[in-house]
Amino acid sequence: MDFYQAGLFCTLVCVAISFVALLRERDDIHKILIVDLVETTGLVLICLVATDLAEALILPGLVVGISELLMLTELYIRKENLPIPSFKPIKIEVMRTAPPIITFVLVVYGIILSGFSGGAVAGIGLVFYFLCKGYEERFELLETISGYAWALWIVAFFIFMILPQAWLIAVMLSGGAILIKVTTKMALIGTMREGRNV
Amino acid sequence: MFNLPIEGEELFALEFGDIVNYFSLYTTTLFLFATAFIIIAIIARPERQTDIVFGTDAVYTKEINQDNLRFQRFMAIACGLATLGAVCSGDLFNFSLFTALIGITNIGIVAGVNNRYVLNAAYNYGIVAMVATTFLFGGASMALGTCGTLSIWELAGKGLVPLAAKMFLVLGVMGEGMAPFYIAKAEITRAPGAPYVLMIHVSSLLIFLRVIEIILTV
Repeated sequence: MDFYQAGLFCTLVCVAISFVALLRERDDIHKILIVDLVETTGLVLICLVATDLAEALILPGLVVGISELLMLTELYIRKENLPIPSFKPIKIEVMRTAPPIITFVLVVYGIILSGFSGGAVAGIGLVFYFLCKGYEERFELLETISGYAWALWIVAFFIFMILPQAWLIAVMLSGGAILIKVTTKMALIGTMREGRNV
Repeated sequence: MFNLPIEGEELFALEFGDIVNYFSLYTTTLFLFATAFIIIAIIARPERQTDIVFGTDAVYTKEINQDNLRFQRFMAIACGLATLGAVCSGDLFNFSLFTALIGITNIGIVAGVNNRYVLNAAYNYGIVAMVATTFLFGGASMALGTCGTLSIWELAGKGLVPLAAKMFLVLGVMGEGMAPFYIAKAEITRAPGAPYVLMIHVSSLLIFLRVIEIILTV
């Protein structure tokens, strides 16, 4: 019995345990948490393969899992008619003075890095800024930019496949587009607390 | 690949490295069926249900909220597009991703109805769909782990994919396509949200047919 089969056996035991937990649970909101646990064991099944391809499959698997979780929570909120909680922002001095400098540094560093990791770094800067400062934002504009950047990313992939000799422009296109896409997507997380759509 | 009993003749194949997206006679039929129902979802007008007031002979027609209508129509079209993707993809993992997307959009169609009971049902469907992704990804990754490739084109006719992986794929599709749960109700095509609920049945049927083709091929 090699390592893959041993790992597979252990993971299937975990799947069985989480299914028993789901069967025994009666409360709706706890069910969401346990279902997320079940989904994580599905990702572990992909991880077990442990090749480059499996690493590339984790990300879409994770994205699908998160989108299903979001769908389920939205449905729960709508089902139970839960109101949006209102609370006053915390008053800490660092949260008023630090954001411009730290965000500037992170965004500039992110642009230098470019690509996926650059987008994550710049996005964290924007999340921090929006969380601390409050804002009035045009959400739809951010979403539109993110969508166009994603389309450019896909176009770059087609250039890789159809015109391999133009690889440089494809690399530049995909690096820039994924930077913008990840940054805007992460900035949206920072706007979740409050603020209005202008 | 195309001398197997289920496929029929080859019509078109698009190669992306070892992943080959192909249209056989079988998948083309499914593709055209899904396209027809997308067009129906685009041009159809919503069903306006009538309620009878108990004890009298008064009848009133339900108003359909414009926002809900738009949301449901969008979800129905998105569901159709995901079905097209699932039907013509030549890769096990792409198939499972598109199937998971079908599950999400199906629940979106049901959740567009503003009725407490319908929302409750949609929530339970959602839990089933989320649990099913474990089986879908598990099946695809077990095939990858034992055969080293996900391409249906390369696996075709060799019988390398273990039985457990095939069973996982079928279980996953059973969870994602929720028509088997939904079909138990008497009012299949006249449920709240008609005619967009029709897309639920079409997509479920098509992914069932497609997964049967896959497990008989690989």
